Amino acid sequence: MSKVILIALAILLLSGCSDASKTSNTATIDKTKTSSKANIEQTTTKNSATNIEETQAMVLLSGLPTLGTTDSIAIIEMDPDSANFGNILYDYSLPKLDAPMHHLYYSPNGRLYATGLGSQCSLAEIDLVRNAKAEPVISNFECLNTNGQNVGEDIMWHNVNGELTMFVTFMGGSDLTQIDAGTVGVFNAQTNEVIKIIEARKSQVEAGQPYIMFPHGISAYGDRMVVTSSTHPTIATEIGNTITIIDLNTLKPIETIVIEDAKPVGFPSSPVEVLFVRPSIIEGVEPAILVNTLFGFETWRVPYNAKTKTFSTPEKLYNGATEGTAVPLEFYGNEDELFISHGVPGIVKRYDLKQLPSLVSSGEDIKAENGAHHMIFYKTAAGRKLIAVQNNLLNLGDAKDNDPTDVDFLVKLNHHSVTVHDLLTGERLGEINFKEKYKKGIDNIEALFGSGFTHHH
Amino acid sequence: MKIATIVVAIAVLFIASTIYTQQNKKLDTHLVEFTAPFVFGRFNLPENNPLTQESVLLGRRLFYDPILSSNNQVSCATCHKQALAFTDGLKTSVGISGNPLAFNSMSLVNLMWGPRHFFWDGRVSSLEEQAIHPIAHVDEMARNIEELIVDLNNDETYKKLFKQAFGNISEQNIAKALANFQRTLISANSRYDQYLRGEISLTAKEEQGRKLFMAHPDTKVVLRGGNCIDCHSQFLTSGFGTAFDGFSNNGLDDDQTLQPGLFTLTNNEMHRGLFKAPTLRNIAVTSPYMHDGRFATLQEVLAHYNGGIKRSKTLSPLIIEADNIAKTQSDHISLNLNDNEITAIIAFLHTLTDEKFLANRAFSSPFMAENNDDD
Repeated sequence: MSKVILIALAILLLSGCSDASKTSNTATIDKTKTSSKANIEQTTTKNSATNIEETQAMVLLSGLPTLGTTDSIAIIEMDPDSANFGNILYDYSLPKLDAPMHHLYYSPNGRLYATGLGSQCSLAEIDLVRNAKAEPVISNFECLNTNGQNVGEDIMWHNVNGELTMFVTFMGGSDLTQIDAGTVGVFNAQTNEVIKIIEARKSQVEAGQPYIMFPHGISAYGDRMVVTSSTHPTIATEIGNTITIIDLNTLKPIETIVIEDAKPVGFPSSPVEVLFVRPSIIEGVEPAILVNTLFGFETWRVPYNAKTKTFSTPEKLYNGATEGTAVPLEFYGNEDELFISHGVPGIVKRYDLKQLPSLVSSGEDIKAENGAHHMIFYKTAAGRKLIAVQNNLLNLGDAKDNDPTDVDFLVKLNHHSVTVHDLLTGERLGEINFKEKYKKGIDNIEALFGSGFTHHH
Repeated sequence: MKIATIVVAIAVLFIASTIYTQQNKKLDTHLVEFTAPFVFGRFNLPENNPLTQESVLLGRRLFYDPILSSNNQVSCATCHKQALAFTDGLKTSVGISGNPLAFNSMSLVNLMWGPRHFFWDGRVSSLEEQAIHPIAHVDEMARNIEELIVDLNNDETYKKLFKQAFGNISEQNIAKALANFQRTLISANSRYDQYLRGEISLTAKEEQGRKLFMAHPDTKVVLRGGNCIDCHSQFLTSGFGTAFDGFSNNGLDDDQTLQPGLFTLTNNEMHRGLFKAPTLRNIAVTSPYMHDGRFATLQEVLAHYNGGIKRSKTLSPLIIEADNIAKTQSDHISLNLNDNEITAIIAFLHTLTDEKFLANRAFSSPFMAENNDDD
């Protein structure tokens, strides 16, 4: 909750930086006509049988109490050429929880997991099967034992000494009242059993020693893992400005690195998502960590020497305060490009994957909507490559209003929509506004078959 | 008097037509209920052949009934035995003529997924079409379909089952019933499936084999691989379903001895020597291997990929390129796996055995069940 207040304040401070030339956001489904539409429709019909699920997405939806709706997981048709565009094809009601589920992830073996922003269900496994009509249906939703960890954020699967292991960041750690809360859960990827909870609170370690605080983003290369220190999930004054390196041989933090300089809105930088650029993503790349800072509005690079296993001084690659963007969030990638979402003014910047760890633009920004956050990549039945952007930061809202998303100061980061764009040109082809169409907020989007396991977050 | 005659005639016609309609009326049917692993992917059922319980019941009976053959001694199950994952253990099958057939018996499992062309050479594009071929084939069952329909019409059980499933007996309905029974042959409870669901862990050797199975070797990043996944998909372990992606020339023959394979269907020279990449589900019980059953054991199969590849004009480039040692000679094709790795891959292949599937009574002979009931 504190995070959203701080973000709102940050946005006010940054007012004037954002791009005013936004597209209309009033239409629930706004199909943009193209000159090739007729051809696309013909081919769509022809190929619909074989392509039927590639254009479907799984979304986490948050109920809006004042609008009488409840949380669910839904499968949505995302092909703007389809008559079903924006329709919920399947909806599974979630149990009533103390906070919304937040992220969806497929494991390398195709198992579906979700993290949750509360204490009742900070990590869950979702069993997907097919019924006799070939439709995907959820057969079970099980909250997993985390040994009491709160506020699950990101998941990463990584081989540790040859064993596939599941790592989860818990921003609220084992006790939300701790001002320096935060843990990294280490789970048996096969059984979901807790192997270890990595906890190194700043107040509990000696001065100058590495610590883990409000971990959010997570990434790894070889035997080195990095987690960010973002913001305390409930105590507004507590914000981080570091990343911490974990030695995967010992599962202990070994180094904490400050990622901050300018403080454009006066708050600590709050590193949020992180990507360990590594050879499995780009052959022959010089490894480095890329870090987005929520309140620094920047993207940083921390070079890594794999031979000496040392990290160099962080370098600022991108400065949102001067470029007119704020709240950088996610890293996603495909075979050619790296994409970074910026909640304000609601855009996705794109970079040449082969040029990493430098950020070399590979094209015009994709103009999404306020709160541009998670994204998926897919092809239509006609073979057109698309990107869909979920435009919503959080659905935590204001308890006073009893409505998680109708809070005025959050409007800039809660557009409640998914916008669909041509990946090549950025042209907007459609929009689904979940609040208008379904009276729900949208927390996350994932391709029905996953977005790939290496570049996600 | 004349009017009375006409009225009586109309009444007789009405009663007769009502009786006929009632006798031939297709009864209500009920769709089969099942769940399958999500990761198997989407499947499509033909709109004109819904997967009904009644059609599956009929198809199962037909599958096990030698009435489908001209001498009443060969059934589908003769070459497709459940305990052998619906194969027959022979190099190439032998039907009614006693002549060895051209191909090894294909396993019948998870047929709703994978390539949409059936038989080793892909010569038919639906299970319905496939079902009729062996019945009519002179070496397999050599059954005249018209005579078969007459015989089925003389059998009260079949008359009842066809009526319940389709309304009447016809060649198309025989095919539909057989196809639908085969569609229900879903294997999804092997140790590998249980592993995928998180219910068990594989042994260290099996896990080593799984990783090798799933990896295309890359010497640049020291990734060792068995290259299996290039043709056998991760979850189904079958060939891929798109177009002819599920067909491959895996180096069994050189140009001089290359067999037609998919060329039979397409007349495309680039398809000569390409055969269907079969599912590897239950592979440990379906020996011998390859389309002509030339390899008796899994060890022989692995030895083929590890040095026995024969070069030809349509040999899969994925096989040519796959090597666990940086290539020094362009004409030498081998995975260059070590003995330990070969043992591991075979250990993983054994995890694909689904004992529940092999003994599932829903897939077994209904006649055996009837005989047991009689006892």
